[in-house]
Amino acid sequence: MGQETVVEIMGLTHDYGEVVALQDLDLQVPSGVTGLVGANGAGKTTMLRLLLGLLHPTTGSIKVLGHDPEREPLEVRARIGYMPEGDCLPKDQTAADFVAYAAQLAGIPPSEARRRASETLFLVGLEEERFRFIGDFSTGMQQRVKLAQAIVHDPDLVLLDEPASGLDPEGRGRMLDLIKRLGQFDIDVIVSSHVLTDIEQTCDWVVMLDAGTLLRSGPLVGFDRLGTVLVEVVDGPDDLASFLRHHGVSATVDGRRLVVGPGDDSLERAIVEAAASTGSGLIRMMRGSASLEDMFVRGGGSG
Amino acid sequence: MTEQVIFDRGYRTYDGPRTGPTGARRAVYREGLRRILGLGRKARLKVFPWSLISIALISAAIFIGIHWAIGDIAESVGQGVPSYGGLFDFYSAISLLFIAFAGPQLLIPDRTKGVLSVYFSRPLTVDGYLLSKVGSFATLVGAFYIVPQTVLHIGLALISDDGFLPYLGDNLDILWKVPATTLCFVALHGSLVFILSSVIGRTGIAAAAFLGVLTAGTAIAARVAEASFAGARWVSLLALEQHPRIVRDYLFEDTVDYPAELAGFEVWASVAVVAALAAVAVWFVRIRYRRLA
Repeated sequence: MGQETVVEIMGLTHDYGEVVALQDLDLQVPSGVTGLVGANGAGKTTMLRLLLGLLHPTTGSIKVLGHDPEREPLEVRARIGYMPEGDCLPKDQTAADFVAYAAQLAGIPPSEARRRASETLFLVGLEEERFRFIGDFSTGMQQRVKLAQAIVHDPDLVLLDEPASGLDPEGRGRMLDLIKRLGQFDIDVIVSSHVLTDIEQTCDWVVMLDAGTLLRSGPLVGFDRLGTVLVEVVDGPDDLASFLRHHGVSATVDGRRLVVGPGDDSLERAIVEAAASTGSGLIRMMRGSASLEDMFVRGGGSG
Repeated sequence: MTEQVIFDRGYRTYDGPRTGPTGARRAVYREGLRRILGLGRKARLKVFPWSLISIALISAAIFIGIHWAIGDIAESVGQGVPSYGGLFDFYSAISLLFIAFAGPQLLIPDRTKGVLSVYFSRPLTVDGYLLSKVGSFATLVGAFYIVPQTVLHIGLALISDDGFLPYLGDNLDILWKVPATTLCFVALHGSLVFILSSVIGRTGIAAAAFLGVLTAGTAIAARVAEASFAGARWVSLLALEQHPRIVRDYLFEDTVDYPAELAGFEVWASVAVVAALAAVAVWFVRIRYRRLA
């Protein structure tokens, strides 16, 4: 990857008149595949348009790949690929023509643009259909053309706005696989979605937005470690539960088992120490992984 | 024989030159030409523009033939066979159809199909996009006027009794009068069709609106210009279609009475209307597209 931090946001607020879309965001997005999650209206698309320099912050500042998109929009856009959520394809052009045109718009000379268009359409699985008119394509094929136009010019960063929107399960799977592969090609990706499982499958960093505010920004790996721990003890869990609660650790009795947490790696140590203090015999401890949805429902967790 | 299958070609990085905003503007310009001419599109999108281009060229060739048949260019012009100024008039209806087709094609599909979101995620400004579109429009519509005139000019030189080069030498003024007249036609019609195409969502409706505004303006101006109420003469300027023709008549010393002339306006009023409409178009379309970007 070219840079450690691809996006740096400080004190960002953006409003549309009286409607505040993003409020007082501080955020750093590292290299890799980053998920931007949030419900519809959370501010994801506004964030992407701010990164492109198409909108300007009301207050605060943004750096994308080291450039300020408000002051140097063309420098930023020359290094970014963007796949909009909505329709963005001319139906009366062939896929090859349009993707080559998209490459030329990013400054690739025409002959090289045609070559790259062909290669990129091969990559997204449209090599056989590249000379067909886009209007004759299925929704899934059109989504892949949209992805192809976003990556054809070898961008350093790709912004994907709801890339799996409107796809059937098979098409969704193919699209998510393609997004994962972009990370392997050393292309940094920010993918926005309101479908949390899509983010879990593709990303290694996640940014959670809710109603324009930042819930959490952190590695997705850490989210797994923030699950609960299931504990079984020899003589019933009540004493252990009381001890843990007394020391500020969440513990819920579930029949003969105890659900402790959620918490990070220190949770297991606290349980062992509590068992030693209460004289409880531990039979088994098992960490349950927290899904992104769990984290979102809890309001971003501790990150 | 061993069967060979390519499973994955991966992704190739690009370290070559990047042409930046200039390359992006050139790409929009080239794509604009291709869109108007229907290149890379289905056959039905080629039929209309190429039919009109063919008619314009054939009409020039036919006039050369008539001039040649009569034998003397001055005599044939005297008999009413169109020469340079008249040729503008002869295919003006065809050129209006061409403009009504080209303007909406350039602006409307990009906007209604959401392609603007791709354009403006690239190193391309709104002004760069619009300038490139204007360039595509001016190139093809300008050529639509100038190429048949060039064919006529060379044809008349070839059949001239004075000889090819002496004819060209005696008619050097054509080299600026035809482009100047063309500029008036392109500026006025282009301004109007760009304004309409920037707000209307369907190409057919935009084309009809363009032709409708020209027709209605002419009809209103013709009826009102000679009325007796105060300011009636200013209404004559609403006949937008007349202004390039008035300039053409001035340059080629033809005389047809258009409403503005009947209302007492000089040629400079027509030049001012063309310039004013062009200025309004630049202001309006820029504002409109800045909001869309």
